[in-house]
Amino acid sequence: MRGGAIPLFSWGTLLLVLLIINLIWAGSQIQSEMFAFAVTAVYATALALSVARPESLRRGPPVRESAPEAVPRTSLAAMALGISMGAMMFGVVFGKFLVFIGGGVWLLAAGRLVVEVRAQRRSLRGEEEER
Amino acid sequence: MSATARKPRTILAPSPRLPGWIGVFTSTDHKRIGSNLFIASFCFFIAGGVMALLMRAQLAQANSAFLTNDSYDALFTMHGSTMIYLFVTPMAIALGLYLVPLQIGASSISAPRVALAGFWTWLCGGLVMQSGWFASGGPGSDGWFDFAPLNNATFTPGTGQTMWNIGVILAAAGLTAMAWPLVITIARRRAPGMSMLRCSMFTWTELISVLMVIASFPVLILAMTGVLIDRSGGHVFSGFRGAIDYQNLFWFFGHPVVYVMFFPYLGAAAEAIATNSRKRWFGYSAFILAIPSFGALSMAVWAHHMFTTGGVTNQYFAFTSTMLIIPAGIEYFDAFGTMIGGSIVLRTSMLFAIFFFIQFFVGGASGIFVSSPPLDYHAEDSYIIVGHFHYTLFAGSVFGFFAGIYHWFPKVTGALLREKLGKLHFVLMVIGTNLTFAPMFWLGQWGMPRRIARYPTHPGWMPLNRLESIGAGIIALGVLVFLINVWVSLRRPVAAGNDPWHGQSLEWWTTSPPPEHNFTEPLPPIRSYAPLLDLRHEAEDRRRAQQEETPA
Repeated sequence: MRGGAIPLFSWGTLLLVLLIINLIWAGSQIQSEMFAFAVTAVYATALALSVARPESLRRGPPVRESAPEAVPRTSLAAMALGISMGAMMFGVVFGKFLVFIGGGVWLLAAGRLVVEVRAQRRSLRGEEEER
Repeated sequence: MSATARKPRTILAPSPRLPGWIGVFTSTDHKRIGSNLFIASFCFFIAGGVMALLMRAQLAQANSAFLTNDSYDALFTMHGSTMIYLFVTPMAIALGLYLVPLQIGASSISAPRVALAGFWTWLCGGLVMQSGWFASGGPGSDGWFDFAPLNNATFTPGTGQTMWNIGVILAAAGLTAMAWPLVITIARRRAPGMSMLRCSMFTWTELISVLMVIASFPVLILAMTGVLIDRSGGHVFSGFRGAIDYQNLFWFFGHPVVYVMFFPYLGAAAEAIATNSRKRWFGYSAFILAIPSFGALSMAVWAHHMFTTGGVTNQYFAFTSTMLIIPAGIEYFDAFGTMIGGSIVLRTSMLFAIFFFIQFFVGGASGIFVSSPPLDYHAEDSYIIVGHFHYTLFAGSVFGFFAGIYHWFPKVTGALLREKLGKLHFVLMVIGTNLTFAPMFWLGQWGMPRRIARYPTHPGWMPLNRLESIGAGIIALGVLVFLINVWVSLRRPVAAGNDPWHGQSLEWWTTSPPPEHNFTEPLPPIRSYAPLLDLRHEAEDRRRAQQEETPA
């Protein structure tokens, strides 16, 4: 999608400038490290977008895309992933059994997520073949 | 129809729709995730508000015995934590999840499963944090900031505090997971014609907010993990250096989050002001230059919370903090510029939006106090600080939030909120907010320290504290009026139609509430950040041209 990565790169660069000023002026190790993490996180997101869609670095409005898109309606797996994370973490203070149950649910949910994503890709391929 | 108009892409929905509540809870529709997050965080807002009322009841009288010291510590910790981790921040993301795809003409969000998993992780975090109330020794009680060494098991023992830490980790992880899809959605799913420079003000404020979440929330998770290790006998944040390191890590999250809690509400207020002034937002280019600069600067000011520790370079952070006044000033110029010459309609959303700017000014101006080290040394740990951040987050963000609610409620529900009740809500909120938070500046100036459960009889302290407690009660009454308004408006709905306010951005193009994939009709041509206003102007120009052509 055109232009999507440009604001991210620009914002990352603004952060980088502030990081450099911080390094020169303050020079604290932990501050530089945290700030460098922030810059890296923003640049990494921008880079990932640019690698996935090189046109995200081109200026101008997006053009129409004709390929169909698959949008899931529901995802039991995603809900179970979130809840299992909560259960595992809560288990740290509440009781180990919750960590194990949460871990089990997490594995099942991850497996189910793979099934969901594959079904989504299959339906997209089917639609493209029909065309 | 222009070249930018298009039919929506073919959308496949490979997974079935599940019936009943399961369908609601597992829905990957961005509107459903946004609504669920909205409802859950509003419930936390009510809980946090009740905690505030209990604290105000305690402080209404000098030497009050209504609460014990421990209960008060627990209440102020949980009030702050609930409001920040479980209400204002998630609410900002909830508005984004619901509205951003509509504003950019997208049929859905990118990575909806990540957003859904994030919602549930955040909700579990909130529940784990609040379940500390049932733990022996009570919930977390060392402040929403959890400073070292107070956060270790020696100074704050009990599972409630550990549950608080775990809750914060889960909430931060969940919010980060919900922020990613928004960034990718804005970057990749804009409608044809919708360049970044044609995105609405709200979308821009959301973009910068979620970028700040991605850049700063992982640092909080790291800090809280370190605290958990310390609570299990580790030595991550030990000694003076450890305490300073913890504060650096915490405030690297703690200051940007203030802006995560501000920008989307600024965007909401901007949309309400532009729509109710029946005018294009003034200075759009300056606005979208100011917002990223504002965001970047606010990532570089965290240690102004640490001036008095003696462990940071005060000059750098005073410089960056003072620089914030430039982008902030631009927002104000833009807001006033939009209203000047506009045909202003004083709907409830407009009133809240105007007061968002007026009251946030008090928060911002008192921020100059704390961004300047000599003044901060004077104000530190006094009620001035409490007044400052409540003017920023309550008198500012919450007013922006209500501006957004009154503005977008018809879009989300298809029903109009009652204006009379809305205005009553507004009046109560203005009176309550200023009665509660303005006296804090005087109390601070007269030496009342913050975070104390009881204060001695001191000339002037008790009357002002009592006034604040009355103000808090009036705020509660205001929120009650709002809830009644929502209930009445949903019970006996007055149909809103697609575009009751003559809105300017794309969400007003679709039905109210929007259908499953947002748009069933081809989108209008997108030539600016106000495509629907462009359409109306074009129609008006055509009508005028026809009138001129028609012979008298």
